[in-house]
Amino acid sequence: MKLSKKRVQHTKGMDITPMIDIVFLLLIFFITVTQVSETNREKLELPKLQGAKDQKKSSLTVNIDKKGEIIVGGKPMQLADIAFLINKELEANGGDTGLITVVVRIDQRATCETPNALVKQLASQGISKVRLAVEVPG
Amino acid sequence: MKLSSHKRNHRRQITLEMTSMIDVVFLLLIFFIVTASFTKTERELDAVTKVNEKSAASAKTDLEPAIIVLTEADGKWVFQIGSNNIPTFTELEEVLNKFPNKADGAFVRAPDKAPYRMAAEAIQACKNADFPGVSYIPLVQK
Repeated sequence: MKLSKKRVQHTKGMDITPMIDIVFLLLIFFITVTQVSETNREKLELPKLQGAKDQKKSSLTVNIDKKGEIIVGGKPMQLADIAFLINKELEANGGDTGLITVVVRIDQRATCETPNALVKQLASQGISKVRLAVEVPG
Repeated sequence: MKLSSHKRNHRRQITLEMTSMIDVVFLLLIFFIVTASFTKTERELDAVTKVNEKSAASAKTDLEPAIIVLTEADGKWVFQIGSNNIPTFTELEEVLNKFPNKADGAFVRAPDKAPYRMAAEAIQACKNADFPGVSYIPLVQK
């Protein structure tokens, strides 16, 4: 019985190593890109505190920089735009305000002026819970 | 000179192909390095917001609820509980830990000009002191 010839032929089969390489590369690329796009995080100096809960997925992430300007998804916005975004989320959810989670990332050097205005705006639309983002020190 | 015999060729099949493994390992390594610098660990402070001030003041118990007001005293912003001015976060934590009435929750009232850092610190102090609910109230300045 001769097995040797068959074995030599077997090694000539398709080499899947480069394919796996590319697949992994694409996989990791998309994982990274989706993570970045989901968070919508501006570069802000958040209050250095322990927080109370781990961050969960949110329906809307609002950034407020040290000058008190509102930024959502990298674009500067006004309170009216936030109201519009919330209305859109409400329409998608069937009007259930309990399902909407708003994460507010506020620079610690900002004053309470814009946060207060935002809170009032959200409350007028029936959203009475906000999640304030903090940065874990260390 | 014979460098490779048939027999040796057969044995070579047993050796492990390292290249692809190294590729993947490097790729994962680079991925983790990149993401580690991207994302700082963020957590959340969940606060209930109350705009209507009357509802915030309507807690009906014998003891007063914890109301922390951010006020300016001698050019500096301080935490104020009742008539006591508390300058730092650690002192506020101590005061809140000893607070007799925790059942009604805590209220943080922040005027527009107050620094946000202090509002966040006040909410954190209330959370650390195990208040069941923390409310944030925007304060209208007259």
